[in-house]
Amino acid sequence: MRASNGFKGTVFKEACIRFNESFSLVDINWMLEPGQVWAIMGASGSGKSALAAALTGAGKLSSGTVEGIVANAGVVSLESQAALIERERLRDDSDITDKVSQGTATREMLNEVSKDPELLAKLIKLFRLEALLDRGFRKLSSGETRKVLFTRALTSKPDMLIVDGPFEGLDTQTVPAVDDLLKQVSTEIPMLLVINRFDELPQFVTHIALLERGHLKTTVETSDKTAMDLTSQLLHLKTTGIKIPGADPGNPLPPLDPAEPLVYIRDASVRYTDNLVFEHLDWRIETGQHWQLTGPNGSGKTSLLNLITGDHPQCYNNDIFVFGYQRGNGESIWDIKQHIGYVSSSLHWDYRVSINCKNVIISGFYDSIGLYTKATDSQIEIAMQWLQILGFQDRAGQAFNQFSYGDQRLLLIARAMVKHPHLLILDEPCFGLDDMSRQLVLALIEKICAGSESTVIYVNHHAQDQIEGIDNYLALTH
Amino acid sequence: MANYFNTLPLREQLAQLGKCEFMDPAEFTDGVTYLKGKKLVVIGCGSQGLNQGLNLRDSGLDVSYALREAAIKDQRQSWKNATENGFTVGTPEELIPGADLVLNLTPDKQHSGVVAGVVPLMKKDACLAYSHGFNIVEEGMQVRPDITVIMVAPKCPGTEVREEYKRGFGVPTLIAVHEDNDPHGDGLAIAKAYAAGTGGHKAGVLMSSFIAEVKSDLMGEQTILCGMLQTGSLLCFDKMVEKGIEPGYAAKLVQIGWETITEALKHGGITNMMDRLSNPAKIKAFELSEELKVIMRPLYNKHMDDIMAGRFSAGMMEDWANDDAKLLGWRKETGETAFEKTENTETDIAEQEYFDHGILMVAMVRAGVELAFETMTAAGIKEESAYYESLHETPLIANTIARKKLYEMNATISDTAEYGCYLYNHACLPLLSDFMTQIDTDVIGRGLQLPDSGVDNQQLIEVNSTVRSHPVESIGATLRGYMSAMKRIN
Repeated sequence: MRASNGFKGTVFKEACIRFNESFSLVDINWMLEPGQVWAIMGASGSGKSALAAALTGAGKLSSGTVEGIVANAGVVSLESQAALIERERLRDDSDITDKVSQGTATREMLNEVSKDPELLAKLIKLFRLEALLDRGFRKLSSGETRKVLFTRALTSKPDMLIVDGPFEGLDTQTVPAVDDLLKQVSTEIPMLLVINRFDELPQFVTHIALLERGHLKTTVETSDKTAMDLTSQLLHLKTTGIKIPGADPGNPLPPLDPAEPLVYIRDASVRYTDNLVFEHLDWRIETGQHWQLTGPNGSGKTSLLNLITGDHPQCYNNDIFVFGYQRGNGESIWDIKQHIGYVSSSLHWDYRVSINCKNVIISGFYDSIGLYTKATDSQIEIAMQWLQILGFQDRAGQAFNQFSYGDQRLLLIARAMVKHPHLLILDEPCFGLDDMSRQLVLALIEKICAGSESTVIYVNHHAQDQIEGIDNYLALTH
Repeated sequence: MANYFNTLPLREQLAQLGKCEFMDPAEFTDGVTYLKGKKLVVIGCGSQGLNQGLNLRDSGLDVSYALREAAIKDQRQSWKNATENGFTVGTPEELIPGADLVLNLTPDKQHSGVVAGVVPLMKKDACLAYSHGFNIVEEGMQVRPDITVIMVAPKCPGTEVREEYKRGFGVPTLIAVHEDNDPHGDGLAIAKAYAAGTGGHKAGVLMSSFIAEVKSDLMGEQTILCGMLQTGSLLCFDKMVEKGIEPGYAAKLVQIGWETITEALKHGGITNMMDRLSNPAKIKAFELSEELKVIMRPLYNKHMDDIMAGRFSAGMMEDWANDDAKLLGWRKETGETAFEKTENTETDIAEQEYFDHGILMVAMVRAGVELAFETMTAAGIKEESAYYESLHETPLIANTIARKKLYEMNATISDTAEYGCYLYNHACLPLLSDFMTQIDTDVIGRGLQLPDSGVDNQQLIEVNSTVRSHPVESIGATLRGYMSAMKRIN
């Protein structure tokens, strides 16, 4: 069945579209026809998400024309995910009511847009959302939020489905299901994907648009084998010869007793009145013992890590020993955080302050979001070395929020590594990164694992993103 | 209980009112040490109660929550909030006797009852903390003489108190010691450690008194903060509709306009807010605000006088005793105004348009802020307090209106603020009726639409200099400077 919908094709003619002071799409010539399935690809910051957004009318057209803007698109992207989280944050009236808000229930989030109860029921089953329906949307894990977003977009009967990073944040069990689902949907609804990794390009994609710094460099039909090989090469750039900048010689971290474990968690549980996340969990991490943590969305990976970082309030009623402190004996959260470098989606969403990109990296020395202490010369020097590695040396003074999501993630990874912490926690660090940035990040992590200063805990869903040097595994289940 | 302020001799009244100074960050180098190992028990698990507790615990302090037995037995929301966050929860009978510091973070209105119930359970020489001094100053609550009574009042909503702490920063905080209850002379040490535990010391702490806090807080909230914004909303909306502007546009211009305009205020004071206007519009706004200041000054004086004399609180407490009859009636009235009932247009209004089409609103904000500030300082309140209770808080209330309009804004601010807001509104509406007859859409709704925005140089210089040399601007620049010196490092 081909659903009736309003998409008659879209034509960009020499379109220049401005998004903010530092980013515009330039001279875009692009024609999308009904029946095609497009994937936009390119490096972080090349304008992939911007081009997808331009299709729905975002940005300011400064010259050229765009005909056939898709007004009623269903969008699944980091931005729409962040927008929904932000909306929920604004709906939280606890600042003015002095009541602690529970947030909108997931069920309501789905019902408010759904125009197809039958499909809604099917997707709830497919994504195993049943148990989450009465929970507040804000309490869902990042992978679960993503599934809600998919369900919202598909059940709203859109004229086009736009998915920016279709498999980002999904656990391994869910990836094939989403692949199947999209394949099926692609025969019914016009679809546009933004793909960060070449190995994630679904079979059913018919055309690729390759972007480079705001220009549409080329378009390729996936049936054209030669052109595809070339594209693949372009996207797999090699990263060699990286040297990690040193720690700050002026402010060495307090030393730890090597005889003690770094982290020792005994019989831990995290529970809410209506939900048990996990219980009877033991975990002992010795210095130099690198770990990979796996588990499906919602199995409590982030909760467990937050027990270690001190960001989960239930760390105080569990038996947790970290960096020489038995938690809940008068130590402050900053005593703990000084030993940790951390990157995760929730950190990314919390990092909403006005700050330039150099200071984002420096804030890693102080474990702060934003920078509230004057940096030393050596810290600035180290931050500049990191910017060099990331290729941002010319953008040191640029505002963090003007960077693309993928580039922001790179900066936050550098922030986590900058002080050579005793424990480096990387919770899906490659979320939203393109191939090149991912190679870079994986290489950086391998270098850190090979060194002796930091012990690494690594969370990821991609079987391909194995890291040499990590040989301990903890798998959480539902 | 008698009004405490009124029992003091004038000399003492003036001394207390005149207390408010910015504390040197070096006074906080000991952090929370003074409270280390002490038992802190919080009463009230709302947004302030929960979030302050989370911060204090993350600073290494021992925090638990006393909830009523029924709340624990029925597993009410307050019980869930505390237990899901890993806190020990118990009844007051179980927890208060062991407490070294009891944090009363319940709403104003419950203070008398809460304090009367809790104090008998407190051990000898313990400390009781408030975050607002109404109960002590206006209701004249007398606390057992062996107990130390302090105040720690973060000048932001609870969620922000937590958010800023997690970032590694804090929110500006006011502290005070009730001198009649400082038997061991360590009230200040406790208040400083408590403020440090919430992260307040990183953003700046003001040392004040219970009296200065209460009198300035009441004055600010009923005049510029809630009163002026309510009266201004109703007048501006009705005028636009009368002059044929589409009601949906008028409603949005007003509702979102306050927030947009006062965002400029937050960053750079009245000066920056006025600078967002074109030169001719700025001159127009200046002239209107000068006129408004003359008309409204007697009303601001009356509010200040009633607050100082205790007439305001006496009147309001009468209404409390009468089941809030007046308050609820007035609240209902607000819900039925045309502004409240009109749906906003879906059409976007550009950020600059809120200024260009809202010249009268800018004038009202300038007049209200300056009048409140002038009236407070003339009554002996320090400039620092007057700044925080006028200019600093205006964007916070404007933000509430942007989300909730007036009815909800009023229902959600404290009942004390709401009661005062209605008193102001009822007096201010008739006071401005003549003034409003001369108003047209050039200053509210459509903008000046001049073919040429030239102005007379001398006139512009005079306007700029009057705006910039107002004392609220110099103290504002200093206080914002402290904040940003700490906050924005480039």
